[in-house]
Amino acid sequence: MTQTPQNLPHAGNILRTSFDNGSTLLAWHNSTSPAVVIQGLLSPGTVADTPGQYGLANLTTAMLMTGTRKHDFQALHEKIESLGASIHLQSGMLMSSFALQCLAEDLPTILDLLTEILSQPAFPEKHFARIQSQILTSLAIRAQDTAAMADEAFDRLLYQDHPFAHPSIGYAQDIMALSLDNLRAFHSDYFTPQNMIIAASGGLAPEELTKMVENTLGAWHKTAPKKQGELPEFFAPTISQRDHVVMEDKSQTDLIIGVLGPKTQGDDFQAASIGNNILGQFGMMGRVGETVREKAGLAYYVQSALGAGLGPTPWQVVAGVNPNNLDKAIALIKEELNKFISEPVTDEELEDSRAQAIGRLPLALESNTGITRSLLSMERYQLGLNHLRDLPDKLSAITAQDILTVARRYWNLDALIISSAGKEIA
Amino acid sequence: MQIEMSQTQLPNGLRVYLKEIHTAPIVSLWIWYDIGARNEVPGKTGLSHWVEHMQFKGTKSMTGQDMDHAIARVGGYWNAFTSQDWTTYLETLPANHLDLALKIEADRMQNSLFDPEDVEMERTVILSEREGAENDPLFLLGEATEALAFQAHPYRNEVFGFQADIESLTRDDLYSHYKYYYQPQNARLCLAGDFHTSTVLSKIERLFGDIPSHQVKKNIPAPEGPITQAHHIELEGPGDAHFAEMVYRSPAADTDDFFAYTILDSLMAGPSSLNMFGSGAISNRTSRLYKSLVENEIVAGVFAGINATIDPGSYSFTLICRPDRSSEEVLKRFDEQIEDIRNGNIQKAELDRAVKQAKALFVYGADNITNQGFWLGYAPSFADYNWFLEYIERLQAVTSEQVIAIAQKYFSPNERVVGFYNPIKKG
Repeated sequence: MTQTPQNLPHAGNILRTSFDNGSTLLAWHNSTSPAVVIQGLLSPGTVADTPGQYGLANLTTAMLMTGTRKHDFQALHEKIESLGASIHLQSGMLMSSFALQCLAEDLPTILDLLTEILSQPAFPEKHFARIQSQILTSLAIRAQDTAAMADEAFDRLLYQDHPFAHPSIGYAQDIMALSLDNLRAFHSDYFTPQNMIIAASGGLAPEELTKMVENTLGAWHKTAPKKQGELPEFFAPTISQRDHVVMEDKSQTDLIIGVLGPKTQGDDFQAASIGNNILGQFGMMGRVGETVREKAGLAYYVQSALGAGLGPTPWQVVAGVNPNNLDKAIALIKEELNKFISEPVTDEELEDSRAQAIGRLPLALESNTGITRSLLSMERYQLGLNHLRDLPDKLSAITAQDILTVARRYWNLDALIISSAGKEIA
Repeated sequence: MQIEMSQTQLPNGLRVYLKEIHTAPIVSLWIWYDIGARNEVPGKTGLSHWVEHMQFKGTKSMTGQDMDHAIARVGGYWNAFTSQDWTTYLETLPANHLDLALKIEADRMQNSLFDPEDVEMERTVILSEREGAENDPLFLLGEATEALAFQAHPYRNEVFGFQADIESLTRDDLYSHYKYYYQPQNARLCLAGDFHTSTVLSKIERLFGDIPSHQVKKNIPAPEGPITQAHHIELEGPGDAHFAEMVYRSPAADTDDFFAYTILDSLMAGPSSLNMFGSGAISNRTSRLYKSLVENEIVAGVFAGINATIDPGSYSFTLICRPDRSSEEVLKRFDEQIEDIRNGNIQKAELDRAVKQAKALFVYGADNITNQGFWLGYAPSFADYNWFLEYIERLQAVTSEQVIAIAQKYFSPNERVVGFYNPIKKG
């Protein structure tokens, strides 16, 4: 049995409660904190957007923060900010998310407000043009971000006709064409507490916290008339594809090389996670960091990233390089990928990465935010309440052969997606 | 609950700050060197930052990779930061591996190699780092406005240094800087987390006590007074987004003015968090500039942030502009708000809100051991640790009259830099 850090959240100290509106709360007591963090996920995500209305989910979520039937914009934010609290909403591909943080003594007030925001939005006319304009400005700023543009190009190449090919923020022409009626209908059709997941950590006993959530988010009853469509089956591309987004006057080029990765809830994920750590995370960005940054000095950053989520997510190597070094960086990364699928990782690499994954658990869980993030993952991916306690044993059982198997399964070097954004390529 | 901190100094001059926190089995070790871009001279900008990079390249007894892997293997992380005023190194890791971090820091305080090949490799990496920043219009605007906000003080320079200096600095420049400034007289060791002071102190004495030390003389720039005139610049560059920055002088952190200025910052643009780590951000929708400029669709967004610095520094309002509003209109409406507060219009509720927000941010930052370690060294870099302990109390003592006086003293239209970034449309 691998030694595990004490006092991790587990089935014995997480209070899991299902409410009759279809939502579920996981609550954990952080006795040293005078504050509380609550995070949650609910339907819908931006995959509910339809052609011609990309950006609808994101704009609807942004408008939720402009006022409720009981509190107009100023009254709402005066209440939140005067308590030193925060409420944030965001649209994700499959679900929307919320996060609140406040002092424990203020939680009832902030939970009331969050529930109002989600269930009784006012969609005030006077704020619509402003929010629309803010999103268009965000798009303009994003259009100058080489990393964001390389990422969008990558998604277009990888996902093709799949809904994930479209950015969550949407497109300018679609956003400009949306009306408040579109937003009201979208909220009415899709927003629902059914299947909502809530995670809480902070300086309140789990029973007390649960009671507060039950009386607020748990008391929001609504059945959404529409469900976002099932995701189409997705298959990894079978040929290599390359795109470069020309952005003149940019000093640095951002590069992404990747493939379709494993599902978070699937059997391959943990082995891929350890493999990814060896490839481009461990220490100063793993093998690719050692080769491209430390030895060749070609990049300020280069690392690998394994996507997580319920949908098809990528496995990537990303880098920021001088435009003149782009080809050299691509060649070096490909060499490392070839090595990754050709031979097993060394015993030392495996042991290092397993030890790191186990050793960092207490660091990842020292704050309320870290704990709620873990609780959400347990519920969303059905990992079980003892996931953190069992994880060290699961990680210890992973072998070099397991990693080689998943590396070969996903990293098809004849079907790489390569995107970059920066100066024109000579 | 106030947790005690103990402070001592070794015979070789190393100042040691220890704060036991037994909430999680974690420790965070920070070594602060009192040297930064503020102490650099023309032609040698970027020296402190580059030396920081070289500290990850190894010593006689451990390669950089050895150190890196040793920390990663136990689940820890390490990093470093160079600012205008200081350079700092940190390791946060499980408490039972504290010895590893202490050993690495004692070793690289005196034995780093600065291999010429590593120096050349890192030159490219640092140029890449600078190029990455140059991709951002706000970096370009910030660099241009800071250069005007100071006549000669090094705060006018970016910590990276100028490209020409990065290209011309030599291995000897870097190594001399390291050997001269990286020694106990010029350093502070700060440790927060799950340990016992008496045990750890003897380890620190054993590892750091014999490191030779000498008195350090450094370039101390003359602090600058008000910005000498009203500057106005317009930059052009790629993109579709318009930005503006209005830059004013800010007081040194170790002054009474700083606390009234912090309240002023909160009232104008929302609360700033000085925490380097830890969760917690409060939105600024009740701030004066958000209400007047964003809600009235003059700009798309506004933010600002005060920095705690040794010398009087700069304080910037950043506005994300809308393409349908002219620079003149934006500036006029912004100035109306500045004039309003200078004319003495402050409500008690605004002050109460600012203090409550500061308290909340303080609490949010405290749930993170790394952030606690940060404050042990950060506050003494410009004042002493009591500055941190008394922070909320001093904010609570600020009156509306003081805030108005600070606005009148620092927010003069004749003593500021106004900069606009205007995108060039292609075709």
